[in-house]
Amino acid sequence: MTELTWARVTPRAGLPYWLHSYRILVRWHLAGLRLWLTLLASIQILAGAGFVLGIALFFRHIPAIAALFVATGVPVINLVMVGLILGPQLVADQKLQQSYDFIRALPALQTAAACAWYTVCLLAGIPAVVISLVIAEARYGISFAVSPAILPAVLLTAFTGTMIGYALGHAVPNPMATRLTTQLLIFAIFGYTPILFPARQLPGWLATVDWWLPFGHMAVIVRAGLTDGLVTGVATSYAIVAVWGAIGIAVSAWALGRRG
Amino acid sequence: MVASTTTSAQAGRGGEDWSFRAEGVTKVYGGTLRANDQITLSVQPGEVYGLLGPNGAGKSTLVKQVIGLLKPTEGQIRLGPFDLVADPGAARQLCSYLPQAPVPIDSFKVREVIELTGRIRGGDRAAVRQRTSQLIEALDIGEWATTMGQRLSGGIKRLVGFSMVTVWPGRVVILDEPTNDVDPLRRRLLWEQIRLLGRQGCAVFLVTHNVMEAEKSVDRLAIIADGRLIAEGTPSSLKAADRGHLRLQVMLAPGARTPELPSWVRSHARAGHNLIAAIEEADAAQGIGWAAGLIGDGVAEEYALGATTLEDVYIRLTGHVSADDED
Repeated sequence: MTELTWARVTPRAGLPYWLHSYRILVRWHLAGLRLWLTLLASIQILAGAGFVLGIALFFRHIPAIAALFVATGVPVINLVMVGLILGPQLVADQKLQQSYDFIRALPALQTAAACAWYTVCLLAGIPAVVISLVIAEARYGISFAVSPAILPAVLLTAFTGTMIGYALGHAVPNPMATRLTTQLLIFAIFGYTPILFPARQLPGWLATVDWWLPFGHMAVIVRAGLTDGLVTGVATSYAIVAVWGAIGIAVSAWALGRRG
Repeated sequence: MVASTTTSAQAGRGGEDWSFRAEGVTKVYGGTLRANDQITLSVQPGEVYGLLGPNGAGKSTLVKQVIGLLKPTEGQIRLGPFDLVADPGAARQLCSYLPQAPVPIDSFKVREVIELTGRIRGGDRAAVRQRTSQLIEALDIGEWATTMGQRLSGGIKRLVGFSMVTVWPGRVVILDEPTNDVDPLRRRLLWEQIRLLGRQGCAVFLVTHNVMEAEKSVDRLAIIADGRLIAEGTPSSLKAADRGHLRLQVMLAPGARTPELPSWVRSHARAGHNLIAAIEEADAAQGIGWAAGLIGDGVAEEYALGATTLEDVYIRLTGHVSADDED
């Protein structure tokens, strides 16, 4: 038998270890999603295209501003779908199937694991974003004013969505509660947050609630990168989305660091 | 987490003593339920150490504290120079853990997931690939090497899980019921690999309630019941107290109730149709007569009288039989 360095393991540390963990975990997550990738890509594209085209079914003549809001809101849904909705459901499944302990016992740095998952969520969202925008441009003749600001907007929106989902998956002890919460999130995001329409169309109290939540602000910062002069208060929106991302990190770190 | 590991990594170099030591480990849930109660044990590199006990005895709770998934209420757990309670990041790197539950491999191909886990565990690509091939061949699972996990039977999944944990093992390898669902032929191959881990210098914790299997494979073992370590030693030393005793195993007829036991039966337990009794050598003739009488009355179908095994020690100490179908 070849001489191996088994049983002489010593703990690794430092940046090379972090980068190694990150690289392998990206591969781990991509392979782990293999069964779902086709379905996931289809749902992402159908959801994006569905919203963009579906709005035409409600109106005989679509107001240009309504088409623009929908076209620039759909990317947010594409960007948070995997991290915010699918991610916690996958963790809930691991808990239900009792394989969560195995995953937690793997010697991967938690920060590298979270970054690897974020990368996968981002990769899963971007193609659908592009397709949704192309469809919107073709269907409604919208000319997007794409600026470099779209880059931080996309990165931060996906990051905050992923981290909130990460926190939901790891911090909520009951997997059924996690699943119900994600269902509620889908319902709330699609119908009652100002992603696909302006906040002023909401009742005052709901607009106030939404102001404290990240989803409407995600739409603001993405819109700011795709249009010119459509949205205001962009800096505040960046700050609120970033704070929610930080909350997601803090809650995840607490949940993953806790030992019963 | 990174910072604490850095400190420990510096401490871990050199020719230290890499023995595993748990001292006074106590885990209390909700202020009253003592899942582990003052457990003290040590395991040397190269030892295969059995943790035996009935379901709910506290075995899994103990190993989850070793791997850093749970924190002891009291006590210390050390591996060589590392304090595993204070540094769960080091615990995860130094210990490999195969839980009793299935491993999540539905979306992975067998060879791929073993290699990926080996890489996560820190092995370099070529060495992990080579070791993966060795494990696949040694466990005779080559025909599934490119099969997706969702298409595997429970037993093959278990072997893949074992391979994932041991492709690049830590200094401590914790195997919780590793042979569950594995067919008898590959079970033998699995035991060979477990012994090989010991020969390579790993300290192997074997968590099981299958005493018969453990007896053949462990160097030393501890019996845990109600959260306490109630016996520890080599299989031979634990059986020493039962020298001069015999094991009388009576297979009862289907539907038969446990018959009234004679006063000379020292201890007994029932598992399914099997009634297992410990008797003195001097009572052998009476035992045979009693068992034959049960057959004559239609209460039993057959009996066997033999030397005591580790399972008899286990029955005496815990009041349980190790088999899954315990009544």
